[in-house]
Parts: sequence; C-alpha cells; structure tokens
Amino acid sequence: MRRRNIALTASAGIAAGALGLTSLALPAGAQNPRLPQVSADELVASVMESDPPALAGRVTVHNELGLPALPGTGETGELLSGGDKSLRVWYDGQQRQRLSIPSGNGETTVVDDGNTVWKWDSAQRTVVKHPNSEETEVERPEPSTGAEPGEIAQRLVGKLRETSAVRVDGTASVAGRDAYELVLTPKPDERTKLREVRIAVDAEDRIPLRVEVNANGSSEPALRAGFSELSTGPQDAELFQFTPPENARVRTAEKPDTTKPDTPRSGRSGITSPRIEGDGWDTVVLSRLPEGTMSSPSGRKTDDDEQRGTGSTGPRAMAERVGSPISGSWGHGWVINSSVGSAVLTSDGRVAAGAVPQQVLIEALRDS
Amino acid sequence: MTGTASRVELPSGIRQHHSAPFGRVVGSELGWVLRRPRNLLALLGLAALPVLIGTVITITGGPGGGSGLFAAVVGNGMVLPVLSLMLTQNLLLPLIIAMVAADGLAGEAANGTLRGLLLAPVGRVRLVVVKALGVLMMVLLAIGVVVLSGVLTGLLIVGGDGLVTLSGTTLPLGEALGRVALAAGWCAVQMAAVGAVALAISSTTEHSLLVLIATVGALVVFGVLEAIPSLDWLKPVLITTDWYSISDVLSDPIRTTDLLSGLWRAGCYILLGFSAAVARMATKDT
Repeated sequence: MRRRNIALTASAGIAAGALGLTSLALPAGAQNPRLPQVSADELVASVMESDPPALAGRVTVHNELGLPALPGTGETGELLSGGDKSLRVWYDGQQRQRLSIPSGNGETTVVDDGNTVWKWDSAQRTVVKHPNSEETEVERPEPSTGAEPGEIAQRLVGKLRETSAVRVDGTASVAGRDAYELVLTPKPDERTKLREVRIAVDAEDRIPLRVEVNANGSSEPALRAGFSELSTGPQDAELFQFTPPENARVRTAEKPDTTKPDTPRSGRSGITSPRIEGDGWDTVVLSRLPEGTMSSPSGRKTDDDEQRGTGSTGPRAMAERVGSPISGSWGHGWVINSSVGSAVLTSDGRVAAGAVPQQVLIEALRDS
Repeated sequence: MTGTASRVELPSGIRQHHSAPFGRVVGSELGWVLRRPRNLLALLGLAALPVLIGTVITITGGPGGGSGLFAAVVGNGMVLPVLSLMLTQNLLLPLIIAMVAADGLAGEAANGTLRGLLLAPVGRVRLVVVKALGVLMMVLLAIGVVVLSGVLTGLLIVGGDGLVTLSGTTLPLGEALGRVALAAGWCAVQMAAVGAVALAISSTTEHSLLVLIATVGALVVFGVLEAIPSLDWLKPVLITTDWYSISDVLSDPIRTTDLLSGLWRAGCYILLGFSAAVARMATKDT
C-alpha cells in the first residue's frame, strides 16, 4: 500500500517534470491587450513627440530574408544571415547608450558615453575609439529634428499615404508590454516584393517595440526585430562608461563606424552618391562602384538589407559566388534574390537594389 | 563493489522498526564512491585538464584572435575555469557522473547486492536518495576539482589579476571568483540533471555499461538533433541546448536569459529523473 503511494507520487513527479519541459517548448500565449482606439496619424505623432525613456532590454532579430551568408560583413552580416540573433541594449534616456552583441562565445560591446563611442571586440581583443558619436543610434524611433513633431508626423503620414495604406491594426503584446500595431501596406500598383510592414508601438511610452517585414507569398515575417525583454527606468551610470582593459589594443578610428548593427528601420538619410529611381515601395537605388575598388564606400549603407550583399568585401567576387548570372540589352551581371528584395551588380560596376522583383531593377538599369 | 549492503545488517525475520541511521548509510555510500579507483582516476584526470589547457595556451600564445573563449583566456586566467567547465561538461563530466550512477543501482543489481539492499531496513525512497547523494557528491567533487585546478592554473600559469569580461570591463579578483562560482553552481545543476536521468536508467537495468551508453549516447543524439534546423521546436526540451551559455557569466552585466532557462530545464530533468528512479525502485520486486 505504502509502495503504491510512493509509486503514485513518483509518477506525479515524472508528469510534473515532463510538463515543466513542455512549458519551455510552448510559446508564451500572451493575449492581445484591449487599448483605447487611436488613429494612425495620432499614433505616428505621439511616436515623434515622445522621447525614448531610459531603458534596458534585449532585442531579438529573427530573419528569414533568404540572404546567402556573406563573408566579411562582421556582426551586421551575422545579424542578417538568418536565424535568431539577440542583442542587449541600454539607454540612459539622453544620449548615452550601450549595446552588447554576442558572437560565438564572445561578444561585441559598443558603448557611447556621450563623447566617445567605444567598440570592443572580445575575440580580437581590440577597442576601436570613435571620438564623435552620432552613428550608434539603434533604438531611437525617428531622427529628431527641430520642427514641430506633430507637423512632421502629418507630413510623414501624408507622404506614406501616397504609396501605402497606413492604418492601426489591432494591438499586440511585445516583451510583456501593450502595443498598437501600425501597419503599412503597399498600394496595389506598387511593384514590390513586400506585403506589409508592421510596427508595434508601445501604448504607454510610444516607442517602437517591434518591426515585422512581411514578404509576398509567406505567412511568416521575413524579418522581425523587436524587444523580447524591456524594462524602463533609470540605468546604472557605470554601464555607459568604458575603460579599455589593460592588455587590449586600442586604436582610434578615422571615420565614423559603419559596422553598426542597425535595425531595418533606421531612416534613409544621408545618401548622396547613389541615385534613387522611383518612389515608395518600388524605389530602386542605383549606384556605381568606384573604379577598381573592391570595397565599397560606407555611404551606401541604407536600410535595404540586400544592398549589403554587394556592400562589403570584394563585391564582384561575392556576387559571382552568391548571385546568378543574368544578361540583357543593358549588359551583363549577377542578380541576388532574397525574399524581400533583389540586387543586381553589372559587370561594369553598376549596382541596382530595392525591395522589388528583379525585372524592376533591370528596367531601371536599362533606363539609366 | 559490494557497496552499502555489506554495511547494513539484514533483517532477522521480524520486521525491525528502527532503521539504519540515515547519516551512516549516506556516509557508507559516499565512502564507497570515493574508494573506487576509477572514480579517483577520473578526478585526477579532470584536475589535469585545466593545467594542460592553461599551459598550452600560455606557451603558444593562444589561437591568435580566433573566436570563442580560447582567445579570451590569454593573459586572463579567470576565464580558464569557465572554459574548462564548458569543455568538460559536454561529455567528460556526464561520462564520469553516469559511471557513478551506473555503479549505484545497476552495478549493485549486477552483483546481486541490490537485493540485499531492498530487503534491508532502508526504505526504498531512502535508498534512491542515498544513491542520488552519492552521484551528487561526485558531481560536486568533479566540478570542484575542475574549478579549483582551473583557478590555480589561471592565477599561477596564465596570470592576470582580475577578470577582463567578454564585454570588455575589468572585474577585481573577488568578483571574478564570484563569477567562477556562479558558473560552477550552474554547471553543477546541469550535471545533477544528467546524474538524475542516469540514475533513472540505472534503476531499470543491471548492466552498468548500458547506463553509460544510454546517457552519453543521449547527449550525443541531443547534439545531433540540435544541429538539424527543422527540429528547432525540439530545442527547448533538450538538456544540452543552453550548455554553451555557461560563458554568459563572463559578460558584464551577466546575460541571464539563457542561464535561467537552462536552470529551469535542468530542474525539470532532475525532477523527472529522480521520480522515475523512485518509481522504478518502489515497484521493483526483490
């Protein structure tokens, strides 16, 4: 009798253990919260008005872009090369921030202490110093300019409405916080590979919490970047200081760091040399690689991920390796297709890229 | 090998109500674990490993900027114990622990001494607890040996005062030792989980070798399953999933997410393994 009780209790223990394990495998079923209605204009305006609070969080990037693994692109390439990546971010509410990106069994840490940006690479044990800090923004919602935020928001939404349907589509729970889902859908006449872009905006602090890029022909997002953990509140000031360790090599960089790990929504700004063809979702970026240079200038880094495909080391060699050759009246080149866009590199050094099917790129190349 | 049985008197017909003092039974079991030459040899080998790694890295100057913890060890001795734990916990520690768990129940069954134990005035739950404590002691000993040897080698051969974390901050020695202790504790929980499952397997068979094969084989299979992309959904259940995140204690601030999920997973495995062992022993005929 007693033995039977023991056996029963033990069986219950087995069941509990098995249940505990399955609980790990099941996704946390968060219900979509109920939130007061808000219009798209109001939502965008409130995002522009709000300053991101001091926060500590973990950003997870889930990526099914279908990009080939690109050698030599550093941690940016690693973030984009498929699968799940997560990085930790801290922000003090003003200007100082810290990022830590795991890589293998090492880590890359970027600390912006207000005056200097330090970039530490644990595998190489090097510290790179950038005296002026402007390039490491990661979770800033929008580049803040001097103008009235509400007005900018209206203009922005107005501009977006020319090519897309902008609406607030329900709510979501992101990193345990309630959020609105702002959805941008391309108008039917936009020739793009993208189906929609969903941005989850925190209901309380009005900061973007998650971005999802959905491509045509797939129900799973091609790219999802967002907080998986987030806590707001004052952060330890020590986090935003960096003293290089004793035996590390420290060098000062001449130009701003370009290997910043950016989320796909950092603004498209500061591109001077490449030409922009078209507008809206079927924008094509045309550019020309400098003669004889195998590494491209940093200026072409925009938010279109596929451009990085032709970006970093040895564009031609890389295109030959990962792209498929095409040719037409416009010349001869290689095309790289991913689920959200495509890029063409021609044998005479012209580059076209965009979130569009390759025909659009070829048309743009022909016209140029 | 005759284990605890020789220490415990067999009941003489009438059921005795005073059972053998628990402390004495545990002490006898621990004594047996420690007296087996192969266990001692295993501990000795474990002690040699960090010395070997530390010396080689110091002489060769490290892998020269490779990735991983090997590069971080150079001139940074406090990384060595964590690296050693990471290297040993994949196969070596589980192997040693499975060996002890195999001796515990399957070995006794093979010798015919388990029958004596089951008849002895030691409750069956108690018997599993005693055996589990024996395994746990081996877990702690093995990890303690690796860590101690790692810390000493780190301080004496590799050198470097304090710890340069993976995040590039420098921690003083005291805090560095704290981090190492954290890694050791975390590893102990993981290995206890392996031990609990090995003990459960051990309770079902009388072939010690089977326990070793099953335990280590399962870990290898887990490693294979982890590598198959379309079985991603299975990952959260595999005990090995977060084992590499032991190096997370070396970043600053500590990356806790994977460590905590690893702890929860190991806890589940401990509960599962221990309960299964108890269930099997309780229903076992003598």
